[in-house]
Amino acid sequence: MTNRPRYAPLSPFAQARAHLLLCDGAAIPDDAFAPGHGLTDFPERWTVAGHALVMPQPFGAPSEQRFRSASHLLALLRHRLAAETMGLRIYAVGSEPFVWDVAKIAREAGMGREEMRLFACGAPERRVACVHCRTVNPGVTTTLVTCAGCGAVLTVRDHFSRVHNTWMGVQCDAEAPGEVPPVEDLCA
Amino acid sequence: MMDNHTLTLVVADAALIAPGLRRVHLRAADGARLPPAAPGAHITLSLPGADGARPLRNSYTLVSADPEHGYELIVRRADRSRGGSRHIHEALAPGDVIDATVPHNLFALHSQAKKHLLIGGGIGITPLLAFVARLRETGAPFELHQIASADEIGVFAALLAPRAGEQVHIHGGRTSLDLPALLAAQPLGTHVYTCGPAGLMDHVEAAAAGLGWPSSHVHREDFGAAGGEPFVLRLAASDIEIAVAGDQTMLEAIEAAGIDTPSLCRGGACGVCILPVRQGEPEHRDHFLSEAERAQGCHVMPCVSRSRSALLVLDI
Amino acid sequence: MATRFKPDETFRDDFRYGNSETAILRFPFPFGEDAYMYGVNMEPHTRPGSAGVFAVGFDVDEHYVAECAERAKVLALEPGRCLVLPHMREAEWDTLELIMESLAADYPDQFTLERDGLDWTWTNRPLGIHHTFRFGDATTLPHPPFEYIVRQAQGDFTLQDQRDGTLYIDGGVATVPADWSLAFDVGMTFHEWHGPVPLAHQAGVFDRALQYLMRVRYGHPARRLNWTMTINPRLDTSPENYPLWGPDRASLTAETIGDRLFLRVELQSFFRLPRSNALLFGIRTYLASLNELTRVPKWGRRLHRVMRDLHPDIAEYKGLTRYRELLVAYLAQFDDGAPTAPGITPDCAALSD
Ligand code: FES
Repeated sequence: MTNRPRYAPLSPFAQARAHLLLCDGAAIPDDAFAPGHGLTDFPERWTVAGHALVMPQPFGAPSEQRFRSASHLLALLRHRLAAETMGLRIYAVGSEPFVWDVAKIAREAGMGREEMRLFACGAPERRVACVHCRTVNPGVTTTLVTCAGCGAVLTVRDHFSRVHNTWMGVQCDAEAPGEVPPVEDLCA
Repeated sequence: MMDNHTLTLVVADAALIAPGLRRVHLRAADGARLPPAAPGAHITLSLPGADGARPLRNSYTLVSADPEHGYELIVRRADRSRGGSRHIHEALAPGDVIDATVPHNLFALHSQAKKHLLIGGGIGITPLLAFVARLRETGAPFELHQIASADEIGVFAALLAPRAGEQVHIHGGRTSLDLPALLAAQPLGTHVYTCGPAGLMDHVEAAAAGLGWPSSHVHREDFGAAGGEPFVLRLAASDIEIAVAGDQTMLEAIEAAGIDTPSLCRGGACGVCILPVRQGEPEHRDHFLSEAERAQGCHVMPCVSRSRSALLVLDI
Repeated sequence: MATRFKPDETFRDDFRYGNSETAILRFPFPFGEDAYMYGVNMEPHTRPGSAGVFAVGFDVDEHYVAECAERAKVLALEPGRCLVLPHMREAEWDTLELIMESLAADYPDQFTLERDGLDWTWTNRPLGIHHTFRFGDATTLPHPPFEYIVRQAQGDFTLQDQRDGTLYIDGGVATVPADWSLAFDVGMTFHEWHGPVPLAHQAGVFDRALQYLMRVRYGHPARRLNWTMTINPRLDTSPENYPLWGPDRASLTAETIGDRLFLRVELQSFFRLPRSNALLFGIRTYLASLNELTRVPKWGRRLHRVMRDLHPDIAEYKGLTRYRELLVAYLAQFDDGAPTAPGITPDCAALSD
């Protein structure tokens, strides 16, 4: 076993006052929801739609709200949570970096792990932090990545920080310079 | 203070502060510093039992703990006292020496709380007094609601007077506090702490759960009580029978009978105290044995577990 | 007998380091039997009657002065190696008090703590420190309280906040890490932090260890031993600086392995902190070369058997794969097949040459 986050299909918490589902706009596969559950279980949904022309209502009645980007959605999530009371549950579905961005904002608002459910879907994509130079390399889809900061070829350890929302990248040929293993696509 | 298992304390002062409430100041008998303690911590005192019976071990929350100035407790005289609180009220006098455990904390403030909501009932105020002192110091947002019976409102108002402020509220009787409304209004990230009669604490827990509070945000005082029904223990190899009292652990009973048996955490986690069961049905309360091992019923952790059957026979 | 410090030792560049005979005989050899498997192996620390490195809360040995200088060097280059989250302030003072009290009680000739209310005076003779400060007031110390005191102690330390039924690593100092990064791991739960350790999760080892640690009480510290191997007496084997020490692993030869390969033992100790209810982990590293260790015949035999039979996943995790064959071949000369007595003690009064 390793320190990899694992995701369970979503279903609403049984005892909660309110539920808020956050999506990054990518297609949500059916297996994102537990059997018998689906989007309709979450009447209040926030999603990203680049072309949205209607301003989203962060405090409106439960319905679908469309945001211009993930950053836009996350900024208003912070705003919304600052005004919330106990009993709320949040759910995030989308790329792994997105769902952990949501988790971070929720944590900063005082929510614990028991108050959120996350489901990462789509092609695996990771933020990789170079342990040597601290540069965060976004959008990594392969087992090796050349660090944008220091140029080292990094392997990605099976070690994920939920606080930083990054995987640990370590120079792959430190012991024998030039001994670089073949690059492969990340698999889920 | 590296290996202290017990503290020898001396009563510096013991004063009645209201009918049935006695405030006790304790210091180290040898005048040394005492271990510091976190708010919410308790100590367990060894008090003489009634009429020469075996000593009683009673846990009391520390209202304040200062390495140099000592520990402060407030003890309510229990109506059906086994002797512990009766002794403190009737016999305890300055200069008396008492053995105590080092402070232990099972009721800690949560470091990530955005706000702390404290709900006390009666003498359950004691850990909350320690909490308020700490929260005032750190400037963390909090609110205290103390429930007192009508005739004791004055007593608790006086206790809280040094800590009064707009966050502190006293309610006469449980019905005068609208608990669901209070809980529903709390901002995200609030943690609630309750201490008092079991009925009040159950009520807080149920109301919070009903409003969608996750259990990780709800805390109640717990001394890690090991009590239950009394039973009889037979040690097959040494051929003796021991009565395990309701307020005593199996391990304590074995030790009190003069039998040396290994233990370490005394909390059901390390596995060191494991003993083989020959007959009877253990009531497992440990975190060490797996489900399968429990089902077999061949072993028991005497530091926390008890017996479902009136007789438990161990192979020692 | 008073410890003679060796202030000229170095743990980088020219690697001037060695153990005296006394230091070898008190080395915390981690293998109690001829086979090794990851386990909790938790015991009470500083139990009356314990000897050597197990007798005191924080062992001060002949490398003390040099190790403190090495820590200062690392912190000057990489201040981020000491990191404490803001909610752990109280635990910082707890740590300062615990370490000062222990050192003063265990080594009264070297360390003195005088307390007058909150005005404390601390004297550390080996490092030439004499300081009066106000307990609880960080402005009266030259460094934050945790950093102040860990600069005067050997080994790394981490601070764990206990909440939500687990332990969060919310602070620490890691200038002597065996390939783990404090900056990366900060804020993780106990299980996340240990995620990369192979074979232990299946055995439920961490579940039990966590349950145990959450019940550690003030005044009842616990400990366990862990081990790995390091080429050269290098304390800073951080992932941050892996490019600096990684090449060492490919550089061993049959001629150099005895002097240059070190068994690296962590004496991990666990203390409940009283004011904060946090847990302090001490991760004290001891280094001894193969040539030093094999002067104890029992250890030479056992080391050979353990390394020969080690599970390949564990060997990989500990970074031994690249030189394991060389290691086992080298150690074979110390193993005559004779049985070894159980336990970690050297079982000899003097060393062979
Ligand atoms: S003493 Fe640790 S489980 Fe009983």
